[in-house]
Amino acid sequence: MSAQTQSGDFDIYATFQQFLQDEEISPPLAAISALAEAIVRSNAGTMFELVQALNDGAEELKRRSPNPISLNAGCELFIAFVTLFPHESDNFAELKKELEQQGRKYAAEALTFRDKIAELALGFIKDDSVILTHSHSRVVLKALLHAHKTKRISVYVTESRPRGLGLKTYETLTAAGIPCTVVLDSAVAYVMDRVDFVLVGSEAVVESGGLINYVGSNQMAIIAKAANKPFYALAESYKFHRLFPLSQYDLPTHNPNILSFPTPIGRSAGTDDAPSTSTPDIITKQPARLGTSSSSTERAMNQEQIAKNPGVDYTRPDLISLVFSDVGILTPEGVSQYLVGMFAG
Amino acid sequence: MAPDPTPIPGHKAVETLVAKLRRRQIVGSRQAALETVLVLRQVVSKARFSNIQQLIVIIREAGRRLVEAQPKEHTVGNTVRRVLHNIREEYHSAVKVSAPTSSRNVYTISKFVLQGQPRKQTVGAPKSETTATLKEDDPDDPDSFARGIKPILMEAIQDVLDELETVYDNVSKTAKDHIHSDEIILTIGHSRTVEAFLKSAGHTRNYTVIVAETAPSYSGHDMARALSAAGISTFLVPDSSIYAIMSRVNKIILGAHAILANGGLVAITGSLLAATAARAHSTPVVVCAGQFKLTPLWNLYHDYGALDFADPSSVLGFEEGKLVERVDVVNPYYDYVGPELVDVFITNDGDHPPSSVYRLIKETYDDDDHEL
Repeated sequence: MSAQTQSGDFDIYATFQQFLQDEEISPPLAAISALAEAIVRSNAGTMFELVQALNDGAEELKRRSPNPISLNAGCELFIAFVTLFPHESDNFAELKKELEQQGRKYAAEALTFRDKIAELALGFIKDDSVILTHSHSRVVLKALLHAHKTKRISVYVTESRPRGLGLKTYETLTAAGIPCTVVLDSAVAYVMDRVDFVLVGSEAVVESGGLINYVGSNQMAIIAKAANKPFYALAESYKFHRLFPLSQYDLPTHNPNILSFPTPIGRSAGTDDAPSTSTPDIITKQPARLGTSSSSTERAMNQEQIAKNPGVDYTRPDLISLVFSDVGILTPEGVSQYLVGMFAG
Repeated sequence: MAPDPTPIPGHKAVETLVAKLRRRQIVGSRQAALETVLVLRQVVSKARFSNIQQLIVIIREAGRRLVEAQPKEHTVGNTVRRVLHNIREEYHSAVKVSAPTSSRNVYTISKFVLQGQPRKQTVGAPKSETTATLKEDDPDDPDSFARGIKPILMEAIQDVLDELETVYDNVSKTAKDHIHSDEIILTIGHSRTVEAFLKSAGHTRNYTVIVAETAPSYSGHDMARALSAAGISTFLVPDSSIYAIMSRVNKIILGAHAILANGGLVAITGSLLAATAARAHSTPVVVCAGQFKLTPLWNLYHDYGALDFADPSSVLGFEEGKLVERVDVVNPYYDYVGPELVDVFITNDGDHPPSSVYRLIKETYDDDDHEL
């Protein structure tokens, strides 16, 4: 790490985490706020140094975060903005201050984006709709709660293993009085015929017009397509990301460990990864209710097995009907044009 | 009707058109659009305003009345939006010429994000140089702004009118590039745009048209008559045989009532049948329509084909009195054809795939006018 940029004890990742504490702040916004903070702390004296410092900060965030995709979108947006910002300030200190304020202003302003999206989505939610959603997304929740004020809706939410965030969605929706049922991730195809449309949030929306979201979104989109149901993605504009994945394995979150096979037992003498070669220690749980069936021991994956699974997946643009964003309702083609216009315009 | 607290200028013209729309004395998307422009022109010429906002409020009010009179005639609303868009554009260029505004640091991240918004490459200089400086909200002479800007605005409205008047010619300009000799074309219903398109191709190409008769309005009969009168070899077939003959058809050409933002369209009933049959045979589906039919609506509830219903008597007349009592007869007038069934839109301003329709809409209308 370059010493001149990280002045003193400023830890950008800690700052980022601190911003994330707020329930309403999503990673891209926290990243923008953290970078704005980094501008103040940095002792850069020229534009070049400043951009360098920001790039280093973004790099640091990316390196230390387990899932860098969405925060990266925020960093990219902010750095592109800083580079293109018209200089009119009299001295550099003033410019830095100005940039920092812009960053903060945007982060504050961006909190209203979800309301905008909820309002746009409202037109697409009919009375008596049955909606399928995946995992936990703040913008989807906002849209559903907003629709609930004026329309009768019921929601199926997937359990979303392994993190089980679907249960969080379930709790929030049930507390708000929306009829909600949790379905297994593997029951998406089973439930699809009952559903009017699918509504998911996003980690990032990429240049192809595709979507990066919690793992399972892709299969949901494929099933929705097969059943001819609309698949809508909700994404705030700070999640637009200049990335062009051609397959799942092009995502920055992919690493060789994901989906890797263990070395077969017997031939692996002398290798050090003993746990994977030995019989996996299956966690056995006693079912909560007794007497449901004989020999009812539930099997679950262990941590190590989970680690071999992806956290997010990529959904191709042809599977997505529309993307709702605070800048309007876009087709997937529209998203790619938008991104080009934004960063190349 | 409740009396309006603030009568809009050109009130009479607006109310006349409202009545006509309501009584369905004006039908057809182009006719409705033309009448709307003419009324708006009157409204603007009679309006008194001392800044642009006042004028926009006046136009919106008139527009809202017209749209409410016949919400199913989408071109009325489209024309109002278009006029508003043109007026704003002219105003901005006029103001920029007369007073270069200081734009110091209005550049924010959200503005930066909005750069991705599709926008029209504005070609050419402002229509007419405004020699007199435009001054809004002049306390001494509140009408001076209106006097100064009205000629420009009238020109902006005239542009919309001109576009509507030349729409058939411009759509059919490229007809001979789309229709080749000895091709067999299938069409349905009687769309003036398609008629003009086919006739224009008929000047240079020797081809065959199959017209589906389009029950129960039988507008296909008129189409067949019009085309054969122009010397084009024409066949008239019942709607039920569309699928059977599709294997011999090279291309199907549809007209549209409205084109929606997702690239789907609302077209005469039977179009969905024809388009689906075409898809099964991988026959290209071409839609001919003027850009005034672009409607900033998504396919919200049109999947039910229930945009508008026609008179059921053409399905089951009163001579069948006994039966009429016992059955419900519905006669939907339009089909919703989804974007995945359309290959290309031929418009008066170039050919576009369904996926770029939303961009055209963003370029043609201002976002804040979607709700009038």
